[in-house]
Amino acid sequence: MKISRRPTRIEIPNTAMGDIAFNLLIFFVILARAQDDSHLHWDPAYAEKLASAGQSSVSVLVDSENKLYLNGQEIGISQLSDRIEELLGKAPAGKRTVWLKVHQEILAQRFEPILEAVSEAGGDLVHILEDKKKPSK
Amino acid sequence: MLRKLKRTNKFLVEPPAVATGDIAFNLIVFFLVCASIQPDSGHKQTIPRSETQNEKKENEPQNIEVQLTRTSVLINGATVAIPDLAGQLRSLFSGKTLPEDRIVVVKSQKDTPYRHWIDVTTRIEDAGGVITLQIEEERQVQLPNE
Repeated sequence: MKISRRPTRIEIPNTAMGDIAFNLLIFFVILARAQDDSHLHWDPAYAEKLASAGQSSVSVLVDSENKLYLNGQEIGISQLSDRIEELLGKAPAGKRTVWLKVHQEILAQRFEPILEAVSEAGGDLVHILEDKKKPSK
Repeated sequence: MLRKLKRTNKFLVEPPAVATGDIAFNLIVFFLVCASIQPDSGHKQTIPRSETQNEKKENEPQNIEVQLTRTSVLINGATVAIPDLAGQLRSLFSGKTLPEDRIVVVKSQKDTPYRHWIDVTTRIEDAGGVITLQIEEERQVQLPNE
């Protein structure tokens, strides 16, 4: 006598679908932040009367070890102007913001050529600073 | 005889405890993301495009020159205390309404730290000055072998 096998129905549990979708969404949002330089160490300088830095697709950073980064990638000063120009493309005036994050102890011989390069590339310079009235530490 | 019927069926509704871990995890991730995308605060600065200047033109108007050393500031060669900088510049700007008359040439020594530079340049801008940088160019010249 042949015993027929009863097919077992296996269903993927769909209770957690919402959670999975939400986690995937957050994961891709974090990945999409291309200019992530949060892993770099720098202490901002202090100033008063600061405004919101707005949005920018270009971020130039000089860390505490005097290294220069463009959107989180190490770069040499000689390439900086061309790379910024490339990233800004044909963006109209007002949308050519370049964030400049310089460690507070970096010397003029290092940061002045960077200012020059940003100006050469036609970027609108915004120094990222900390408010003097409410230091974070 | 009327008899009052007592409802005996009580519904027990309990929140499903299975998803508590997921909810907690999602909340942690959500607040982590929120904390990491805090908007930055900054200071906008307009610096004119660079041009090479070999010699000073005779008819060129005299701009105010601010020199920065590691710890001090000089206006046209005279040392000024940093808190007095804005006041002194405002008095120099009196009667000058055009932005081209309010140009301040900033010359920094190589060892000027960024925090000092930012402090001084923001004070110049607060006083109504238009910042221009003067950067000395270093060139290597090879002498011909004799």
